[in-house]
Amino acid sequence: MLMEKSVVENGFIIDLSNIKNTSQLVFELSSIMEHPEVKGKNICLKLGSLDLKQSQLLSIKALIESMNASIAFIDTKSEQTEASAVSLGIMIKELSEELAADISADSEHAEQGQFVQEVVEEKLEAAETTENEENKVVEVYAGVEVDHPIETTEGIEDIYDEVSAEELSEVIPSEEYEKTNFGILAASEGLLPTEETSKYILLDTGNVLPEGVEENSLNNESVSTLYINQTLRSGQTINYEGNILIIGDAHPGSEIIAGGDITVWGILGGIAHAGSNGNITSKVRALKLNAIQLRIAGLYARRNDTLNVPYVQKTNEFTPEEALIEDGKIVIYKKLRRD
Amino acid sequence: MTGRVIVITSGKGGVGKTTTSANIGTALAKSGFKVVLIDTDLGLRNLDLLLGLENRIVYTIVDVIEERCKLKQALVKDKKNPNLQLLAAAQTRDKTAVNAEQLKEICDILKEENDFVLVDCPAGIEQGFQNAVAGASEAIVVTTPEMSAIRDADRIIGLLATKEEITSVKLLLNRVRPNLIKSNEMMSVDDVVGILEIPLVGIIPEDTGIITSTNKGEPIVNDENALAGKAYRNVAERILGEEVPFLDLDEPKGFMAKIKNAIAKLKVKV
Repeated sequence: MLMEKSVVENGFIIDLSNIKNTSQLVFELSSIMEHPEVKGKNICLKLGSLDLKQSQLLSIKALIESMNASIAFIDTKSEQTEASAVSLGIMIKELSEELAADISADSEHAEQGQFVQEVVEEKLEAAETTENEENKVVEVYAGVEVDHPIETTEGIEDIYDEVSAEELSEVIPSEEYEKTNFGILAASEGLLPTEETSKYILLDTGNVLPEGVEENSLNNESVSTLYINQTLRSGQTINYEGNILIIGDAHPGSEIIAGGDITVWGILGGIAHAGSNGNITSKVRALKLNAIQLRIAGLYARRNDTLNVPYVQKTNEFTPEEALIEDGKIVIYKKLRRD
Repeated sequence: MTGRVIVITSGKGGVGKTTTSANIGTALAKSGFKVVLIDTDLGLRNLDLLLGLENRIVYTIVDVIEERCKLKQALVKDKKNPNLQLLAAAQTRDKTAVNAEQLKEICDILKEENDFVLVDCPAGIEQGFQNAVAGASEAIVVTTPEMSAIRDADRIIGLLATKEEITSVKLLLNRVRPNLIKSNEMMSVDDVVGILEIPLVGIIPEDTGIITSTNKGEPIVNDENALAGKAYRNVAERILGEEVPFLDLDEPKGFMAKIKNAIAKLKVKV
C-alpha cells in the first residue's frame, strides 16, 4: 500500500517503448536518471516489446536504485521481460492504453524514444482511491487524461504549465530536446545554472600559461597519443605533449598533463590539464568526471565544494562526460558533442 | 610585525599532527589572527584535505621554491576565514625537492606578514623533519598515551633540544580516553608528562567527530558542541598566553552527578 501511495504522490513514467536494443536502453535511461528531478522518485518503466533477460533487468533496476529511485512497476509487451520481472519481484502493470497512445502521438518524442512525464500531484491526489490497487493506478492516470487531454505537443506543454515554476526550473523544456539532441546538457544551458549547483567553478588564477606559450587552436587529431593501460595513483604524474588515453582510473592526487586531449576510460579523480601548450580546443573526457581540478589551456576550474567526493568513488554507473572551453568558460557535456 | 613560527611534530605517524595543525590554525584565525599553515609533508600531503581546500590548490611550496610562481600566488585562502591561508605541499614530489634553508627562508618571509606560521611536520626524523623545524622558533610535540608514541616523542624532544633556534617545546596529548585511564588500561596524563618532562599545552579527548570532520574537510573547532573542538580552542588560547584550565574529561558517575553535570552544561549555554 505504501508503495502505491508513493507512486501516486511521487512518480514518473519513463517511456522507452520505442527503443529496440538493450545498450541503447541503458544509455538513454542513464541520461534520464542523471536528471535531478528523478532522484528519490518511483519510476514506472514503459519498455515496449524489447526482450530483457533477468540479468539485464537486474542491472537496469540497480541503475535506477543507484540514483536513489525505485521501480514502481514496468509495462512491457514482451513475455521474456515479463518473466524476468516476475522472477525479480518487480510488479507488472499496464498503463492506460489511451494515455500511452497520446504520449507517443508526439512523433518527434516517439522517434527519440524517450519521454519523461511528470505526474501532476494534485490531480493524482484528487483521484478516487479504490480497493483494487491495479485499478487505482490506471484510474489515477486516467484522471490526468480527463482533466488535461493530451493530444498534441502543446497539450503536453500545458501539463508542464500546471507544474509550479520552481519545479519547472530544472526541467528542460521539450523544444530543448530537439536542439540539443537530448542528453547534451551543458552547464551553461540551464541544467546546472548557478554557482551552487554547477559542477566546476573557474578559479581566478590570472594568466597561468608559462612564458612563451600562446593560445592556439591546433588540431589534436594530428598529434600522437600516449596509451596507458593502468590505474594512476596519488602522486603519479603523466606529462605528454600529445593526447593521453588512460584505460583505468586516475585517483585523487594524480596529475595528467597533456598537450592535447585527455581521455580516461574510467573514473577521473585527480587533476587533468588538457591543452597545456595553450590549445584551447582541447578536451577532457572520462567515463566518470570527478576531477578535483579541470584545467584546459590557461583556464583552471575547481570542483564545486558541494560535490564532496573525498576518496575514489567506485561505481558501476558511468555517465560519460566531456569538458571543453566555450565562451571563455569550462563547460561539461553529458554526451560527446559532434559539431 | 614578526609572527611566531611554530612547528607541529611527533616522530610517530598517525598521532594527529595534521589534525592538530588544521584545528589550531583555524582556532587562531577565528580569534582574528593572521595565520599561515605550511604543509611540509611532500608526497603525502593531507592538510589540504582536512581543510577542504584540495580543489583550490594551483601552486605548491615546490613551485615557490623553484620559482614558477610568487609566494603570494601559492597561498590558498580558507573557504570561511580569509585570515587563514595554506601553503600546500606538492603531492607529486618527495622530501628532497626542498631543503632546510629554503624552508627557513619561506618561514622568514611569511612571519613578517602574519601573526602565526604553523608548520605541519611529516612523520620521521629524516630530511622532512629537518626541513620543517628549520624556520621554527617554537615546537608542539603531539603524542598519544601509548608507549610507542611516547618513545618517539621523547626522541623528537631530544632532537629539538639540539636546535638552538627553538626556544619553547610543548606537549599536546591527543586521543585521551578517560574511561580507559580510570580502568588503568591507558597511561594517565600525569604519567605521560612525568616521562616527557615538558609543559603541557593541551589534552584532546578521543572524539569520533574527528573522523567525520576529516572526511568533510571541516576542522572540528568549528563545531561548537564537540568536546575535541573545545579542547583545541583551549590550546589556541594557551598559545596566546592565556591561562585556561584543562578540560575535565572525567565523566560523572552516578545518577545525581549526571543530573548536576547536565544542569551545569545548561547554565554554560545560557
